[in-house]
Amino acid sequence: MAGSNTNIQITDLDFDSIKTNFINYLKSQDVLKDYNYDGSALSVLLDVLAYNTQYNAYYLNMVANEMFLDSALQRDSVISLAKLLNYTPKSATAPEAIVNVVVNQVTNDASLTLPKYTTFLSEAIDGVNYTFVNDETVVVDVVNNTATFNNLKIKQGTPAGMSYVVDSTQNPKYTFKIPEINVDTNTLSVTVQETSTNTSFQVYNKATSFLSVDGDSLVYFLQEGPGGYYEINFGNNVLGKKLSDGNIVRLSYLTTLGTSSYGANSFVSMNNIGGYSNIVVSPVSASSTGSAKESLSSIKFQAPKSYAAQGRAVTKEDYITAIQQNNLGFTFDSVNVWGGQENDPPIYGQVFISAKPNGGYTFTATQKQRLVDSVIKPLSVMTVQPTFVDPDYTYIQITANVVYDPKRTNLTAGDLKSLIKSTLMSYSAKTLNTFNSTFSTTDYSEVIKNTDPSIITNEINIQVQKKIFPILTGATTYKLHYGVGLKRGLFLSGINSSPSIKVRDPVTPSVIIDSLFVEEVPQATGGVSSISMINPGFGYQSTPTVKILGDGTGATAEAVLSINGTIRQINVTNKGSNYTSAIVEIVPASNDTTGQLASAIVTLEGRYGTLRTYYNNTQNIKKIFNATAGTVDYNMGVVTLDSFNPFDVNNQLGQLTITANPATTMLSSSYNRIITVDPFDPTSIIVNVTARQT
Amino acid sequence: MANLTKLYSDIDFTFTRKPVTNDVALSYDSQAVIRSVRNLLQTRHYERPFNPDLGSNMDAMLFEPISMLTASSIESEISNTIKNYEPRVILQKVEVIPTPEQNAYEATLSFFLENSSSPTSITLLLERNR
Repeated sequence: MAGSNTNIQITDLDFDSIKTNFINYLKSQDVLKDYNYDGSALSVLLDVLAYNTQYNAYYLNMVANEMFLDSALQRDSVISLAKLLNYTPKSATAPEAIVNVVVNQVTNDASLTLPKYTTFLSEAIDGVNYTFVNDETVVVDVVNNTATFNNLKIKQGTPAGMSYVVDSTQNPKYTFKIPEINVDTNTLSVTVQETSTNTSFQVYNKATSFLSVDGDSLVYFLQEGPGGYYEINFGNNVLGKKLSDGNIVRLSYLTTLGTSSYGANSFVSMNNIGGYSNIVVSPVSASSTGSAKESLSSIKFQAPKSYAAQGRAVTKEDYITAIQQNNLGFTFDSVNVWGGQENDPPIYGQVFISAKPNGGYTFTATQKQRLVDSVIKPLSVMTVQPTFVDPDYTYIQITANVVYDPKRTNLTAGDLKSLIKSTLMSYSAKTLNTFNSTFSTTDYSEVIKNTDPSIITNEINIQVQKKIFPILTGATTYKLHYGVGLKRGLFLSGINSSPSIKVRDPVTPSVIIDSLFVEEVPQATGGVSSISMINPGFGYQSTPTVKILGDGTGATAEAVLSINGTIRQINVTNKGSNYTSAIVEIVPASNDTTGQLASAIVTLEGRYGTLRTYYNNTQNIKKIFNATAGTVDYNMGVVTLDSFNPFDVNNQLGQLTITANPATTMLSSSYNRIITVDPFDPTSIIVNVTARQT
Repeated sequence: MANLTKLYSDIDFTFTRKPVTNDVALSYDSQAVIRSVRNLLQTRHYERPFNPDLGSNMDAMLFEPISMLTASSIESEISNTIKNYEPRVILQKVEVIPTPEQNAYEATLSFFLENSSSPTSITLLLERNR
């Protein structure tokens, strides 16, 4: 039957193309000609054949997709492929809060026990009260009829449990399912009771490394099974101790609602503690750090990285992967790691880690310590010391001036303003807030332009801010690294602070001076700081004249001659002012015929600026409180507040903002620096719109 | 095996065997077209994969009360189906006569085949089969 056209297309996947291919093939013969008529028997056969071909092609395509980690869509397939990379997907993790629990009127006991899984109920978050429990038993002594449980960790979750009787006929692989999707496997405890009559039991721990597991090890293996349920299985007397028929496996764990209880910070005890009901629960830190069950995209991303790290932290990527895969329930927006040799000055033998918590700014000291002790140290090379540093935030304040054509939009000026503002805010959230990000006003300008067709043009001015919480109990020096060169301020436009602060009068400390601000000392440019010799010259018989030539005025200097006729040094006698560039001319005295070749260079003061503090007195006259409150290194972008000692900061948070003008409109972050636009600050994006005059 | 004198050739749906060659039996020209018309009328909508419109609604109509009205509907259904799906047939006349005593209709189709001057006529007994 086959004719000259024996090439049949096999790459098409849809029914119509497949049928057309068959028809094209049949065109090469003349025995059967009715393939084009729908009613013909041949057409019926072609339909069946094409349908069958398409069915198989679709099925094979799906099978092939599910065979590879990159293309698999079914959770079971992804889990199975991740298993080959020795990767166990992370379960949901219970958010954690820290509280102090005080039990009063304890009369008959010398010590008091807070049992595991004592229940605390949170305040309502979005209308829901969440159950929190402590996951370990704590015993404290009773002092003055009061038992105090300080810094008690409580986790959001409901205790649950399951027990199975081991039967090797029914369950030859000794696999036991945890019948809860939202189990927090970090809270899983596994015990194996001998038999129903012999109640002695042994605690089994999760196997993490196979190097330390032998046939007697009391370990269980955790994996995610079909349907997203976790399951545990046991050893075979070679890797881990095998179970026997009649053993009873008991699982206890917490099931958690994930991140929905974030922010819970007020709790009441739902149980009596040791029979006492006068219980006061006070918050220490609000509920945070939990996470939902690991998503498919996260598993696809993390599993190959985890395999590449091979359970060790050696390279930068190893550290980042290990931190992101922690089993402490900490989740991150961004993690950065660098070697101490990159620091200035270099610190050898240390690895620096900086991480931005998901939805937060910094980790607490305890959380950082836990990350280092439980996650990094067990994996890192012994001689390398991991050090956790907080992210250093530089806030950008954006002022956008926008010109638009009101005839080309239905939006009012106010609508347009808020539209631009929200667009910029979401663009910032998408592109900034991570380590190694770049801010450029050109990008923002483009985003504004694309916000609405009525926008004709726009310009963007930015300022950079540092936000500090000054220590109110003693003088402290603050070094604020803006991560970008700073522009020298002119009158009233230089570095400034907000809100005002209060200080004690240094002469009479009982007097509080209010409404004090920090500002850059307004000076156009500086004078001559010093003059360094390049060539001392020779043959000078008497002191030459030193001339400073530049665009400023008033600078003078004199040379110091050494006994062998060279110039030893040049001292500045008057710094002068307003120099942006200057050179030195050394002119031999009129009677000196041999002195020659001495040369020197000028270092200007312009690189540094000065900060001062001021307040307006009762007559509203500006008074300088401290003329040398700090310095500004314009090139390096560092503002230093020397011995800064406020008594109070006039806002609720106690947060002081120091604003400066960057020298460029493009900022990049590296190391522990993060550039961000503060979503909680209403003035972080200011939009001015102007209708075009027609 | 090629038969160049035949204009239309199709597999015979009876799938019988040619005694000499042992090949599957074929039907040709008018026989093939008539077979095709019968196939179309006997195919219900949604029966053919990915082609739900193909076929006729005759099957359902045979369960309507036997009357001239239904007969007329069947007539137009037959002629529409043929016009839509069988371009080789130039339909002259469709006549459907109810025969209540047999619980059936007698349909007579008169048509020309494309490229043929002799008229063809077939009579089908349309009877519901369940």
